[in-house]
Amino acid sequence: MNWRHVNLIYMRELTDQLRDRRTVFTITVLPLLLYPLIGMLMMQVAQFNKRQAANVRIVGLDNWPSELPLLDKRNKPILHPGMIDVSEWMNFESQPWPTIDGEFSWEQMLTAARTDIASDKIDAVLFVEPGFEQELRSRLTVAAAGTTGSGSAILNDADSAGITPLSTQESVVEHVGVKPSSDGLQVIANLARDNSRIAQERIGVLLDSWRAAWVSSQLASAGMSPRLIEPFTVDATDTATESVKSAVLWTKILPMVMLVWALTGAFYPAIDLCAGEKERGTLETLLSSPARRAEIVWGKLFTVITFSVSSAVLNLLSMHFTASFVVRKLLLSGIPDLAETLGPLPIQAVGWLLLLLLPMAAFFSALALAIAALARSTKEGQYYLMPLLLVTLPLVSLPMLPSMSLNLGTSLIPVTGTVFLIRSLIEGRYFEAFIYLPTVVLVTACCCGLSIRWAIKQFESETVMFRESERWNLKLLLHHLWRDREDTASTASALLAGAIILVSIFFAQLAAGSFVSGWSGIASSTFIVQVLLILTPCLLMSVYLTRSPRRALRIHRVQFSHVIAALGLGVAVHPTYSALGYAIQQLYEIGPETQQLLAKFQHMVGSQPLWAVLMILAALPALCEELAFRGFIFGGLLRSGGALRAIVVTSLLFGFAHPVLQQSIAAALMGLFLGLIAWRTGGVICTIVVHLINNTLSVSMAWMAMNHFEPPAALSWAVYSQDSSWTYTPTWSTLSVLLALTLTFILMRRDTQTQRTVQAEMA
Amino acid sequence: MVEVTELTKTYQDLKAGQFVALDRVSFHVAPGEIFGLLGPNGAGKTTALRILSTVLKPTSGSARVAGFDVNHHPNEVRHSIGFVSNNTAMYERMTAWEFVEYFGKLYGIEAEQLERRMHNIFSDLQMLDIRDVVGAKMSTGMKQKVSIARAIIHDPPVLVFDEPSLGLDVLVARALLKIIGQLRDAGKCIIFSTHIMREVERLCDRVAILYHGRILATGTLAELADRYHETDFEELFFTALAESDQQQVQLNGSLGHSHERDSFSPTTSECL
Ligand SMILES: Nc1ncnc2c1ncn2[C@@H]1O[C@H](COP(=O)(O)OP(=O)(O)OP(=O)(O)O)[C@@H](O)[C@H]1O
Ligand SMILES: [Mg+2]
Repeated sequence: MNWRHVNLIYMRELTDQLRDRRTVFTITVLPLLLYPLIGMLMMQVAQFNKRQAANVRIVGLDNWPSELPLLDKRNKPILHPGMIDVSEWMNFESQPWPTIDGEFSWEQMLTAARTDIASDKIDAVLFVEPGFEQELRSRLTVAAAGTTGSGSAILNDADSAGITPLSTQESVVEHVGVKPSSDGLQVIANLARDNSRIAQERIGVLLDSWRAAWVSSQLASAGMSPRLIEPFTVDATDTATESVKSAVLWTKILPMVMLVWALTGAFYPAIDLCAGEKERGTLETLLSSPARRAEIVWGKLFTVITFSVSSAVLNLLSMHFTASFVVRKLLLSGIPDLAETLGPLPIQAVGWLLLLLLPMAAFFSALALAIAALARSTKEGQYYLMPLLLVTLPLVSLPMLPSMSLNLGTSLIPVTGTVFLIRSLIEGRYFEAFIYLPTVVLVTACCCGLSIRWAIKQFESETVMFRESERWNLKLLLHHLWRDREDTASTASALLAGAIILVSIFFAQLAAGSFVSGWSGIASSTFIVQVLLILTPCLLMSVYLTRSPRRALRIHRVQFSHVIAALGLGVAVHPTYSALGYAIQQLYEIGPETQQLLAKFQHMVGSQPLWAVLMILAALPALCEELAFRGFIFGGLLRSGGALRAIVVTSLLFGFAHPVLQQSIAAALMGLFLGLIAWRTGGVICTIVVHLINNTLSVSMAWMAMNHFEPPAALSWAVYSQDSSWTYTPTWSTLSVLLALTLTFILMRRDTQTQRTVQAEMA
Repeated sequence: MVEVTELTKTYQDLKAGQFVALDRVSFHVAPGEIFGLLGPNGAGKTTALRILSTVLKPTSGSARVAGFDVNHHPNEVRHSIGFVSNNTAMYERMTAWEFVEYFGKLYGIEAEQLERRMHNIFSDLQMLDIRDVVGAKMSTGMKQKVSIARAIIHDPPVLVFDEPSLGLDVLVARALLKIIGQLRDAGKCIIFSTHIMREVERLCDRVAILYHGRILATGTLAELADRYHETDFEELFFTALAESDQQQVQLNGSLGHSHERDSFSPTTSECL
């Protein structure tokens, strides 16, 4: 690696991008303008919102208790002690209650209210019936007498008003029919209209506040303390420091905003640097220069990182400054609650955010570069942004979920773990951050390394760099697939098989739900998943897309020593696998529902004959899963020297094919091990053996324990029974690790024939 | 200087399957010689020259440039070769001077020496008036000159021109051929691909006729004229192609129907 080349390429690409007006605009000018503009718009909307006072008509204000009037002569609300001032939010107009001999009926009043609300003349109408005050007072006396109910009073009201009985005190949506009133107050509003709904809410606030004032005054006149209704209050002390408190919202939002900008900021330059160069025909000039492919990638990568970082930083700063400006405005206009949550970001938080940004920008940039290299033209490149965002957005926004926090589990998730770590640092929980620092760093480093490696591979691939725009249609493709099929699966068909398996399992799970009825249900669903969903796609593809289905499924003859070692390994690795499963369950707790389900499952399995259980739950999956994952898919991914790729990708697919998260993790880890064996032994036989024995041990030990068998005395050094389950002794657990390592060592050694088989597969 | 032996290149192609773009092509070029690679569209000229410049890797066979194998020492090969093709465009937002300077630096030339060489090249190629013009504003002829300047900045012993006169008017093309002639006189080993007969007649010392990925004939113009009993080179070219087509028809007739010329099958050893 010649870093002088990298630097030269970096400087050139950087100046080139900076000479492009579009890039400069999107990276620098846009964020500097965007947020102030958004801020201005927000202020406008806020002002607009404030001016918009609700128009409320009160019919029968004369029926209101004169002792504690609601409005004054000019229809302004009167502020009694303890009441909330609503004069800014509400405008009132009042109408007198129609007299008995007037032609006005209740129906007519309702119709009038309806039309006025519909024509926006008014937002809501409050009816105060003539009997309201009387009812209010009757409550006082009735309550004092210790009885409830007030039926007669209402009827009287209704009679005296000469109209149909009214319904209850609050909200009756327009279309609701007329009901007998109980308390003499009624609001008419149209909840489908925002203004009307707000007006109704505000009437509620006003009435609540008046009610409190009324109760206080009544208590006072009865010689009691108004404190009676609120005998005590609680003093709360917030232990959060000021800086943390003001950062609460920011720590949730900013990482996400920043990372999204880091990604988009990386993507557009990446497209221009790869697909754009292909389009303009300058890529070949560079490829024929002394710079190596890796140097070209690093040079371009640093350019993309630069733009990614500066785009994120500029957006962050612009957003932050705008927000603090808006905050000042909000404070001035008297909305301190909102202003406080948007308070200034503490300076150390900015530092931590920048620390988060660097590795993430590197990761996103490498990813964007590799994907952009695939594109033949900038237009095609633009299409790839959406899938990339779809994959990364959930990772970025996962930390915004309220129930999630930094733990070993989340720290292992790429991107998400980093965001959590930074949040802990911002909130000053340094110890917690320190504990999970190694895992986060490791995961992030792996992601960065893999994506950079991928980008370099893309640049080294002729088919990617010199892809011609081909005419493409389905018929051509199918014809091509049939005519050009080779002995083993192609990488593309291997990935397709993996995708088909995962998608069909997903839909099968959706269709079946989580409910499996009885043993026959378990058996048939296992059969369907294993044979129809996992094995069949691979079988069909190996028949139709390859010339030798046997070789495509990797059914090769293997070394005898390997088979023997595999037999032993199946036994030796089981204690470790069990321990692993246990550890994972400690780490990512199984939800109660799933736990119940698993218990039920265990119970159903325990009541069946052992041979049937072994056939369905141990042998069938071992055979089908191995032929699919370590056979067909592995073979396709192994092509052109991708041993690491084959092992990692098949283990991920294998993991995802399991429904329960905890199983997935264990399976993925086991998949790495099985993949290693599948690669070294040059076939699928040995992994079938290991998988089969591992499953057999798991199933039969659980079955024995369920049926209250005791471990045979001859095995007492290895297995003992505890809490009605069989457990490995510490001695055997330790010994088994040593044995497993030895056997793995044997499996690693290939003879010449195996060597040739594997070489042919990897060609 | 350049030795190509049994060079084969196959592309994976959706329509034709394994597509053999180069089929066991062999030729050699000496220093101070212009070697013409003559072939119709799609003959495989660009493919061959891309392999020489290590942009593509051969499927089989080998090629040596200035003593270095393209498979094993691609970096040394790139240092000894200058590649000009219509696919090696210049950057649109860079001036001629910056462009050549950038490649000079990539070749690791010392700053002072680079400055000197650039002045010489720019005056030799009469490009001093366009030195501060950006790529986007250049005509095809100017761009081609800049590309040549870029290709010779590190003074490579081997120069490869892939249809350099494409899109140039007669005047500029003439000037270009003159430059190439001068480079030969300076002792460079030059490979020159084209489908324009006049250029071949004017410039090339030796010629290979490439058709459907195969070399039909190699030799000096006189030798070829002898072989095909034809002195007019254009006629000679057609005769050669027609002869090849005829042979192909006969071959197909005797082998039964097969439109795949020479299907390449990866040898997967049967080892079980
Ligand atoms: N990346 C590629 N993928 C598939 N086929 C290709 C690729 N590049 C070239 N070919 C095919 O290989 C054949 C030879 O192409 P090549 O560009 O070498 O021809 P050429 O002699 O340079 O033709 P021209 O005179 O048109 O430039 C053509 O038929 C072309 O379609
Ligand atoms: Mg060409």
